[in-house]
Amino acid sequence: MTTPPAPSPSGTGISVRGLTKTFGSFTAVDDLSFEVAPARVTGFLGPNGAGKTTTLRMLLGLVRPTSGEALIGGRRYADLSAPMVTVGAALEATGFHPGRSGRNHLRVLAASHGIPDRRVDELLELVGIPAAARKKAGGYSMGMRQRLGLAAALLGDPDVLLLDEPANGLDPEGIRWMRGFMRHLAQEQGKTVLVSSHLLGEVEQTVEDVVIIANGRMARQGTIDELRGEPAVLVRVADPAGLAGVLQEAGLEVQPEDGGLRVSGADGARIGEAAHAAGHAVHELRPLRTDLERLFLELTESPEHRNRNLATGTEAA
Amino acid sequence: MISLVRAELRKYFTTRLSWSMPLAMAVLGGLFAALQGLFLAVIGEFPGPDGSMIVPSEMFGEDVVARLVYTGGVQIGYLLALVLGILSMSGEFRHKTITATLLAAPRRGRLIAAKLASVAVIVAVNAVAFTLGSVVGGGLTLALGDVSLFPDLAGLLATFARMILVLVLWGLMGFGLGVLITNQVVALFVGVGVTLLVEPLLGFGLTFVERLADASKFFPSQASTSALDLFAGVDPGMAQSLGGAPDALSWGWGTLVLLGYAAFMAALGWLLTSRRDVA
Ligand SMILES: Nc1ncnc2c1ncn2[C@@H]1O[C@H](COP(=O)(O)OP(=O)(O)O)[C@@H](O)[C@H]1O
Ligand SMILES: [Mg+2]
Repeated sequence: MTTPPAPSPSGTGISVRGLTKTFGSFTAVDDLSFEVAPARVTGFLGPNGAGKTTTLRMLLGLVRPTSGEALIGGRRYADLSAPMVTVGAALEATGFHPGRSGRNHLRVLAASHGIPDRRVDELLELVGIPAAARKKAGGYSMGMRQRLGLAAALLGDPDVLLLDEPANGLDPEGIRWMRGFMRHLAQEQGKTVLVSSHLLGEVEQTVEDVVIIANGRMARQGTIDELRGEPAVLVRVADPAGLAGVLQEAGLEVQPEDGGLRVSGADGARIGEAAHAAGHAVHELRPLRTDLERLFLELTESPEHRNRNLATGTEAA
Repeated sequence: MISLVRAELRKYFTTRLSWSMPLAMAVLGGLFAALQGLFLAVIGEFPGPDGSMIVPSEMFGEDVVARLVYTGGVQIGYLLALVLGILSMSGEFRHKTITATLLAAPRRGRLIAAKLASVAVIVAVNAVAFTLGSVVGGGLTLALGDVSLFPDLAGLLATFARMILVLVLWGLMGFGLGVLITNQVVALFVGVGVTLLVEPLLGFGLTFVERLADASKFFPSQASTSALDLFAGVDPGMAQSLGGAPDALSWGWGTLVLLGYAAFMAALGWLLTSRRDVA
């Protein structure tokens, strides 16, 4: 049970291949394929109803795929000999018996894997609910449930963590804590983290890779930096056309934008100096941030992804 | 596997049910045994089939009377055992703990096996409480009626053991039912409804169908009465006047029939469970 948390370069990854799930005539997950790299935090993103939870449930053997496969470290979840030691999962809509304390809930899970009860108390300490977890779960807030779910996921000190919308119901302070916690798990403990969210902004600062799905289909995958694209700078001068010529000569990519110039391939300092050298007085110089939220919306609302929930379902059948 | 059973037992022992159910078992067992004792020992006489008065303790011997009194509440006992069995699975769906449970035990066949074992243990513990309550309640009225409390100790111990076995088998049947019907309210309704209503009505109806008239002895309640072997050494006609079935199964067969029901439902439930999506 006490596998050393030493980050191993090989690690345990996740691979999803041609995964499809239909409920009746409705296709919730549609031929989805992606890989999750070991020891990295991967954001699994998509609007509500995109199929994130269904995909995670298939990874965990709770929902049977219609076709395709979902493997963790090359194996199906049900084939893992001590699953909670390899994979920890905190899923949406996980319930607690209202008459059982959170601590006892964890002790039940611990017993199933021969994990000592001491570990339960350590984890309650770690997620910050040591006292409250002794009360009956019936009265828990959403935030308490999330923390308890996270503690359950960590019980076996697993290599892989699957977290389904972990920030839901947390207050801003809780969200900040959760972000730091995920980073800590991946960077210091070498764990593979797959975290789902319907809000890109919520996980933007935490994740290294993204898998974006919409209507059960892949919309985009890659690193978050790839998604952001090349950094660009907006510069405003009295004579944009003149400066554009100068910058282009210096080998930079320039596009007119919003009365100024959008320059990529160099940082503000270099652009400012180039403008100064050419005798242009700089009125404004600021880095342009890719509006990830807008990109996310564009990706997930593009025509081929729209309307699925309103469709008649003939296509899926 | 052992650790999964341990986890299931922990589930039971960390809710209120772990003390409220044995308490209910003991109290109800005591009450119904006392009631039986009131008729058979305290009042101590009732009209026989031919109209003459029967004094049970003289007619069948004190050992049979003691047996009947101590098992007076067995019906309510096995109903509660059935409920315990049903709750083991349907409770997981009701409170949505099934997700956490399956994450810890993804091989569903193993989970079912662990739950079966834990239901057997849990119902056995409850059945002991039930038996103790019955002995107190029944013993009180036997003493009041001046009938010997333990006329045949070895025989009575065997009866208690059989009663515990019958309750455990009902627990297992309930478990099978709970796996089959995951909606807790429906499962409880069906389980209790079939036992209290459908089975007696069907049994009564079958007495009019000559070729099937014998079938009712294979029904769970009738088979349970057989498995308890209450009427050992009693003339079959007399046994009927005390509520025994004509041509009842031997206690061994009665036990096997109950075991068959439990196995059938658990197997069917397992088949369904292994394919069911938990979403
Ligand atoms: N058991 C089910 N039966 C029918 N439809 C389902 C079931 N589970 C999920 N769905 C549907 O599949 C789609 C994807 O759901 P889900 O995976 O929960 O999305 P997400 O987690 O991305 O919000 C939704 O439209 C949902 O209504
Ligand atoms: Mg979801």
